[in-house]
Amino acid sequence: MTGTFVRAAALASALGPDLDSAVERLAGAPVAPARNTKTGGAWPYFAIPISGGDWRERAEAIARSVAGDLRREAAIEPARWAELPCIVGSSSFSVGAWDEGGWAALEPSFEFASRLARAFGVRGAVTALSTTCTSGLSALDVALGLIAEGEFREVLVLGAEFCNRLTVAGFAGLELLSATAARPCDRERDGLVLGEALAAVLVSAAPSPWRIAALATGMDAASVTGPAADGAAIASAMRAAMGGARWESAAVDLIKLQSGGGRLADSAEANAVRELFAPVPGAVSLKGALGHTLGASGPAELALLLASLARGRVPATWGFAERDGELGLAPSGGDAQGVRRVLFNLSGFGGSVMSLALERAL
Amino acid sequence: MTVYLLAPTSLRVAPDDFPARVRARFASELRRAGRFAQLCLLGAQACLDAAGGDGALGVLWASEFGALYAARAALDEDLRRGEAAMPFTFIATQPHLAGALLAQRSHPVTRTACLYLPADAWPSLPRLAQRWLAECERVLVGCVEESGSGGVAHRSDWCLFRKKPAAGALRCERSLEAESAADATTEDWIPRVAAWHRPAPLLLRGGEDAWSFASDG
Repeated sequence: MTGTFVRAAALASALGPDLDSAVERLAGAPVAPARNTKTGGAWPYFAIPISGGDWRERAEAIARSVAGDLRREAAIEPARWAELPCIVGSSSFSVGAWDEGGWAALEPSFEFASRLARAFGVRGAVTALSTTCTSGLSALDVALGLIAEGEFREVLVLGAEFCNRLTVAGFAGLELLSATAARPCDRERDGLVLGEALAAVLVSAAPSPWRIAALATGMDAASVTGPAADGAAIASAMRAAMGGARWESAAVDLIKLQSGGGRLADSAEANAVRELFAPVPGAVSLKGALGHTLGASGPAELALLLASLARGRVPATWGFAERDGELGLAPSGGDAQGVRRVLFNLSGFGGSVMSLALERAL
Repeated sequence: MTVYLLAPTSLRVAPDDFPARVRARFASELRRAGRFAQLCLLGAQACLDAAGGDGALGVLWASEFGALYAARAALDEDLRRGEAAMPFTFIATQPHLAGALLAQRSHPVTRTACLYLPADAWPSLPRLAQRWLAECERVLVGCVEESGSGGVAHRSDWCLFRKKPAAGALRCERSLEAESAADATTEDWIPRVAAWHRPAPLLLRGGEDAWSFASDG
């Protein structure tokens, strides 16, 4: 089978400093996010349980930890690893460094991306990219192009979002945050809970268990901070991803929803899903467990989902308790046997909409 | 793969003149967009006006600092006072806003991205545009930098790539003659293409990658 494959993935998130601990914790009882003084203290926040050093030192320590996990899983010889190109997607890059260090600590985005790449021990070309909450998947999109054109056999993709007050203040200013918990698709949902994550995905032309069958992008310009209520742009991206993968809608076994607990955004995505699927296949949202990790959310949710599926489980949707009749979606976890095709949705500010088609290859 | 470049547009605006230029072009339409997004749009719209045409549009732009100055303003003005940052100063939205604003101005934008690049990495832009042209009819490519001080002009340089030839378009190809190409930077490659009026191709290099720009006639 040809194409581009997910060779390895690693993640540091609120669920744990590594992917194994995250999957294990996700299989247990939900844990509520705590208020976080580093993001202002007024809102719940999903923080990575790694501390020590100043903001930048902590980010680098997290990067080294994730890099170690990824290298072990990827099992690439050191010389090849060192030459990997690195595409970094983030919405905030190093803005959190200002919280502790002022102007001197606030570096240009490319420099911070290069800092992360160095922590991963790679010396290939670095590209830093921002498309708000879809930044990590946009980075993956660039990587897919590089592999498809034969420029590289393997590309390292990072999704990075570290705690900072400005992002939380921005979402608070837009009145998009929940004061208690993220409840994706739930009748009582009342907003997002933000989180931090560093996710690394190594994509490769060499066959691995999951193939990236297609990645579709779209633009929803209804508002710069939210989707059109009808979800038309989301439906269009999902349709394009299925078309690129040559799937009929009935072939989709699982939809990884963007849904993070926002009233309008969840409703728009549900409209898109119902337009394309009857009956609606299994669905899952990971934002009740990870928080909305913004620019990191694509690689972070991809890493967590594939690791859960590899262990035989479709993860439960933390925060979902009661079905909202208007949405018509009831995400649920369970046995992953039979899950061979996954549609993976993501959308963000600025109207960016993406849908990724993943299929089991081995 | 050969692609075609239209309407290289180089915009320099003194910071003091900037608000009036934005008002003159967009009236009050962009008053809440934030300075970086306004700067993107001012140059992008000028390029689109010059290039004409229609069809699905990708928007791709690069910056060294992005909305860093806007973020600094937000941190100073809002967070120090303990107030919520507003959407137009919020760093996550502003660099990416220009694509959405173009779409709201009835341009058929299908994909956008803002890249942060070192000075010699500008060839990433035409290469990515080339890839996007598999899905889009046109890709608008820009290099945008907000001035950090009163004495330096804001920059907003743009050009439009198409997959099909058009009157006045330059043929653009990756070149294998990197050694004979002139060094160019993210800051000057579009102005140099705009100023090139000779029959011989213009060969520009960034890093190890070179591009040829030649008249198509």
